[in-house]
Amino acid sequence: MDYKTVLTVCPYCGCGCGMYLEVMDGKVIGTLPSMNHPISEGSLCIKGWNAHEPVHSQKRLTKPFMRKDGKLTEASWDEAIDKVAGELTRIRDQYGPNSLAVLTSAKCTNEENYLLMKLTRAVLGTNNIDHCARL
Amino acid sequence: MEELKKKVKQALEEGKIHGFLGLKADEGEVSPFFVTKDNIAELEKLTAPDGRYSIGKILSHIAVRNPGKVIGVMVRGCDERAIIELTKASQLGTASITQFGVACTPQTAEKCNCPQPYPSQIDFGEKAPGVVPNELLAKVEQMSVEDRLAFWMSQFDKCIKCYGCRNICPVCYCKECTLEDQNLVPGGIVPPATPVFHFIKAMHMADRCIDCGLCEATCPMNIPLRTIYRHMRKAMQELFDYVPGKAATDKSPLGVLEEGGRLIH
Amino acid sequence: MSADNSFEPTIIGFLCNWCSYAGADLAGGSRKKYAANVLPIRVMCSGTVSPHHIVKAFQMGADGVLVTGCHIGECHYLKGNYMTAKRIPVVKELLGFMGISPDRLMLDWVSASEGEKFARVVTEFSEKIRSLGPSPLKGRAHGRVKEESKASA
Repeated sequence: MDYKTVLTVCPYCGCGCGMYLEVMDGKVIGTLPSMNHPISEGSLCIKGWNAHEPVHSQKRLTKPFMRKDGKLTEASWDEAIDKVAGELTRIRDQYGPNSLAVLTSAKCTNEENYLLMKLTRAVLGTNNIDHCARL
Repeated sequence: MEELKKKVKQALEEGKIHGFLGLKADEGEVSPFFVTKDNIAELEKLTAPDGRYSIGKILSHIAVRNPGKVIGVMVRGCDERAIIELTKASQLGTASITQFGVACTPQTAEKCNCPQPYPSQIDFGEKAPGVVPNELLAKVEQMSVEDRLAFWMSQFDKCIKCYGCRNICPVCYCKECTLEDQNLVPGGIVPPATPVFHFIKAMHMADRCIDCGLCEATCPMNIPLRTIYRHMRKAMQELFDYVPGKAATDKSPLGVLEEGGRLIH
Repeated sequence: MSADNSFEPTIIGFLCNWCSYAGADLAGGSRKKYAANVLPIRVMCSGTVSPHHIVKAFQMGADGVLVTGCHIGECHYLKGNYMTAKRIPVVKELLGFMGISPDRLMLDWVSASEGEKFARVVTEFSEKIRSLGPSPLKGRAHGRVKEESKASA
């Protein structure tokens, strides 16, 4: 019998609307706008209202998948990371960093987009990064 | 407030209630919170602020997951009306609710434009008079039919289809919502099919709206939704002498298969 | 909104299967002459006509909506038409408040033997809609005002 609200900031877009995640018995079950927030003033857009949905979604992948013999099969984290890191490094060393590009998404959180941006610029060494909403 | 905190603490310690839902103030941030014997110290932060949340809705979420338990809740005028409507619709499961009534100050009542800023039983606070509804309802009622359409369409064209009005409404509880029906409100179009979207919500609110004003408070585009629902409440009262949120034993004429109200012919 | 002589109203008619639709059939069978502006939709009971159907009809461009059912006390499902009788005034209130003339929605009771009444109701209602003019929601496909009419926005 445990319910609490956790004050946080919406992970989508640059507005920074204040919201509360409703946590019931350890699971995130809903979102409330922060009614006296100086920026959002108690409003949220449809993405903000549904920010809690992806947390416990059944549709989330829990294991990496790799294409083997043309079919997507489950792989281990080590296998997947080795493959991705190995290939990206090979292509970067062979063709130069600007042969790589990264496409992120408005469905990723701001934090994820920030990490991808850092990875692309600092690690891959290119500024070829874009976002479906051109953020 | 100290009196109320003591009362609630006692009820929790004596096992009269298994948990208590209220509003807390944490460094200026007001939010709903739930207290059980395990975190009874949190009770210190209990407050009855200007800001409000959909307490009725949160209560129904907790109640449904805790059948048979006794849940205490801090209710203000609007919260009590919401709980009455939710009780009518069997949205509180088998949990029983113990209400701790808090009357709002005249300032809060003014801010919320509230018709009844006090619950039926007051454990804290002084009863303040209800506030006269803002003039928008009267203004629209005096407009010509063409002006009304122009007014409402210009308002509805602002809608960004955030579903905030539906999500925050304490008496909106349907698991499958008509507003998400693809035949009536096709997806991928903003503003949503006007005026269908707002028409549907208003029809559903006609015999449910408790005039808390949360819909208007949360609308990012400041659409005067409350005015429409207030008109519908008025219509229901005139046609059927039915007022939502008054008594849990009342039944909405639109929901009962029997004669009622004014029949044509 | 002035009605010109060439405006032919489009009226959606929700006719209950047991009484009104049969009444409409009788009107046709008896070769009654009446306005051809009503597009009939047969429903099992006038009580199944939801406010959603009515507003959708207006949204799709109907100039008027006619709902007909069995007389009170004669409903095939006993009390279905009580629901209609309670519901339609509420829908009219909302239509009127939003700026769509409540006269564009009409409820009447037509029994299976009232072919003549059906013809009369349809003709009178069509005339009323003709004088009211085209629905103000016409041309607002998906709720967006067509660009031309937004000139002074």
